[in-house]
Amino acid sequence: MNASQLQNRYRIFVIGISVAFFVLLCRFFYLQIYQRARYFQESERNRIQKIVLQPTRGIMYDRNGVVLVDNRPSYSVYAIPFETKKADSVFELTATILSMDVGEVKDKIRRYRRSQFAPVKLKRQIDFTTLSEIEENRLSLPGIIYDIEPRRAYSSGVRAPHLFGYLGEITDNELEVAKDSGYRLGDIIGKKGLEKVYEDVLQGLRGFRYVEVDAFGREVRTLKDKPEMLPLPGKNLHLSIDAELQKFLEARMDTLQGGAVVVDCRNGEVLALVSKPDYEPEIFTKPITQDVWNGLINDPRKPLYDRMVQSLYPPGSTFKLVVASAALESGLITKEWSSYCNGFLTFGRRTFECWKTVGHKDVDLTQAIAQSCNVYFYKLGPKLGIDTWSEYAKKFRFGERTGIDLINENAGLVPTQKYLDETYGAGKWSQGLMLNLAVGQGDLLVTPLQLVSLAMIMANKGVYHQIHLVRYIEDPIDGAQQQLRVDSTMIQGISDTTFNIVRNGMYEVVQGVHGTAKICRFRDIHVAGKTGTAQNPHGDPHAWFIGFAPYEKPEIAFCVLVENGGSGSGNAAPIARGIIDHYFHKSKRKLAYEF
Amino acid sequence: MNFRSVKPSQGDYFMILIVCLLIAVGLTAIFSASYHVESATLKSNFTKQIVWFVISFVLMIVAIVLPLRLINSVTYWLYALSIVALIMTLFSSRIADVHRWIVIGPIQIQPAEFVKIGVLLTLAKYLSEERRDLSNLRDIGFAFGIILIPFALVVKQPDLGTALVFVSLILPMLFWAGLPFYLFFSMIAPFLSLISAFNYYSFLVAMILIAGVLLFMKRGPRYFLFNMLMNIGVGLITPLLWGKLHTYQQHRILTFLGLKIDPHGASYQVIQSIVAIGSGGFFGKGFLNGTQTQLRFLPAQHTDFIFSVIGEEAGFIGVLFILALFYIILLRGIFIAFVCHNRFGSLLSIGIVTIIGFHVLVTISMTVGIMPVTGIPLPFISYGGSSLMANMILIGLLINASIRRYKY
Repeated sequence: MNASQLQNRYRIFVIGISVAFFVLLCRFFYLQIYQRARYFQESERNRIQKIVLQPTRGIMYDRNGVVLVDNRPSYSVYAIPFETKKADSVFELTATILSMDVGEVKDKIRRYRRSQFAPVKLKRQIDFTTLSEIEENRLSLPGIIYDIEPRRAYSSGVRAPHLFGYLGEITDNELEVAKDSGYRLGDIIGKKGLEKVYEDVLQGLRGFRYVEVDAFGREVRTLKDKPEMLPLPGKNLHLSIDAELQKFLEARMDTLQGGAVVVDCRNGEVLALVSKPDYEPEIFTKPITQDVWNGLINDPRKPLYDRMVQSLYPPGSTFKLVVASAALESGLITKEWSSYCNGFLTFGRRTFECWKTVGHKDVDLTQAIAQSCNVYFYKLGPKLGIDTWSEYAKKFRFGERTGIDLINENAGLVPTQKYLDETYGAGKWSQGLMLNLAVGQGDLLVTPLQLVSLAMIMANKGVYHQIHLVRYIEDPIDGAQQQLRVDSTMIQGISDTTFNIVRNGMYEVVQGVHGTAKICRFRDIHVAGKTGTAQNPHGDPHAWFIGFAPYEKPEIAFCVLVENGGSGSGNAAPIARGIIDHYFHKSKRKLAYEF
Repeated sequence: MNFRSVKPSQGDYFMILIVCLLIAVGLTAIFSASYHVESATLKSNFTKQIVWFVISFVLMIVAIVLPLRLINSVTYWLYALSIVALIMTLFSSRIADVHRWIVIGPIQIQPAEFVKIGVLLTLAKYLSEERRDLSNLRDIGFAFGIILIPFALVVKQPDLGTALVFVSLILPMLFWAGLPFYLFFSMIAPFLSLISAFNYYSFLVAMILIAGVLLFMKRGPRYFLFNMLMNIGVGLITPLLWGKLHTYQQHRILTFLGLKIDPHGASYQVIQSIVAIGSGGFFGKGFLNGTQTQLRFLPAQHTDFIFSVIGEEAGFIGVLFILALFYIILLRGIFIAFVCHNRFGSLLSIGIVTIIGFHVLVTISMTVGIMPVTGIPLPFISYGGSSLMANMILIGLLINASIRRYKY
């Protein structure tokens, strides 16, 4: 190689290096000067995270200020995707500790991830053992963190699971509906009962805060120059429930199937609402296991069902109050109209029996109610006819929802001419059906709530107050109380005279010599009521007792149901006695009310 | 560049100043990258690197003082030692799942860093021998053999990035040693064919270009035919081989070449690095104020991606400064190779320029996403004792060549 060749190759090297450096410099110029704004934003997005501050959920109180549903801290486990993906063993260990599937863990992270660094909720409300296991394996679990998340607590001893309902993680469908309200995947939402009905009130308003985070999702500091909004706590619900009465009733009916409702008939406030069998409200405060869930679902006694609101029953003799009112009001009979009962009535080719096989002999209307004579009402049935019968059933609000602030209320069924024609075929059903309908049997189906409503209407001589559970909503910050509107209506077309006659019959049920519910007699309180023994295809008749007290100036209306409990007078009325005794003699509610 | 700064009587001592400047910047960046992390290992990086610097400085002095002739005479022994060290590495215990270090007591040595020097010296010595004829394919083949053995051993570790350093040496050194243009072109043309082979039109254009250059060389029909057939062959086989690869293998290669973005996996580092550099702007975010660095969004920030720290905290100004310093070192190195009258020293110098240049270009390009992530250190700046020592020795040898450019 000669000198000029060397010179050439020297130049080639210099040019090569220079070109390479120039290209690099251009690239840096492009990134740092031309594109600076874009990358600066991206670096800000990396480090600044909007932290959603969850508000504390509203508390539920009973009418005397006893805390029924409260919050208590618990721990939830989260994963930071960027950290956890570094080793597969993290997923396995996490899954083992949280007793989940590895696939389930990965699936959650994939579905719920918002960014590499934003924590994804893996499991809610772990117990203390799990928490300490995570803490022990700290080093083998990069990216697995836990945080405090409140859970519901029921400390008063009141169970009432159907009433309170429960919370759960929002589902895809719920999110679809509620996303405009700011819900996100992984959020907690009311699923049943008051938690669901008053979700908007209880949940409060989410706040947010901007923090600087490092690559591991750890908070480094709060950014002060960014706006911050504190969460507003959810509002508190002050229920009309009397915790003592509720507890008493829950205990009293613990082994039974059925339930009871007690309503303040002066304003429609529910004092107690018990449905049995029920379940521990606590089981839904932590993620429910498949076993427990299947157990609840497949339990033949259906503990998840709120029998007072959702289930339908034939009302049996309690419905005679409606039929009596209809007969009086339509001028079919007078108070003095009497009938002879020899224990059965033959209608066409069929024999309809009275519950008292030897018969009631001569009974007038008052005694027919007091002794619950079927024959008397059998005779009224065909005379009333289906149209008048269903008209009055509807006047007394059967066949429609009471509108209580709970979900899944059933409207029941009041058969009409049209309905019977459709079911049995026009002209193919006999007037014999009317005999059954007149004693609250047949196609008629009601909810216990509708029967307590009937009791209230009787107590108030026609005034119906919307039955409700929440007395007022309280703002925890300024204590402001928001009263809820209670609609009151007057049942039209039933005269005071009619009410007086029927009410007198109800009085005789308890106070009369032959009354079916003499067990409810008190020295100081006059109780009025009506028993019912509803035949049904599922076994022994359902035992009913509805009524109100005191007769002279009613304060409470009640309805007791014991499924397959036999006779109303034998099995439902004693429970009602307990209610009245508790309310008038033991409960401190008067103090609170007057205060 | 003032070529006259290298006076006949003295060596290029100015180089020491530049290197020390770079190391100072490096220490600052390491400090920033290790700052406020509670973990003790990271905190000690800065002080450790100072210790490495002191040792390296001594090694550099030694490399300056030792006569080139002496170095030349033991070169083949050094080569043998290098190979032995690499084999030992393969039998050492794994650290982070690779056999990259030899552990002696508390010290971990990365032999591959020093093997670079051994291979470089060997290649320089081999090519500088009087009897070499670089139009002789046997001699060229032997030169390839010198780098192939360490290449294979380092690939086994596995450390593809470092292994590619050896490959990068061969063409510039052959070229500087006087490899004829036509042979040089024969060597690089197949790569062009390989890359263009994925598309009919690009392949056609490449073939026309290659044919044009081959004809321009005027080496006769045998040369032309042989090269054309080889390039067409490469072009035909490539798609077939590609098709035989599994999809995941294809993805890996594409991701490595930066042709495919995988935001959660390999590309994550590059994305964060680009964000760090881009967000630095003209003046940078300031020392210890880089959010990407301080909040650890930047991966391997005291080693592979240290330049991103500088890009973020010192901005375009800082980048310009560092690039300028490296540019000065490389140009002075080429100049030393040019003026060095003894062939060994000259080839040694061009090799040093190649090694440092390759490291600088690859590591910096990688931080801005125009080269694949290979995981080799940025000379003088990245944290790491072996790398710093090796690079200081190289600078020492470069100064040595500049001092002894008239003698041997």
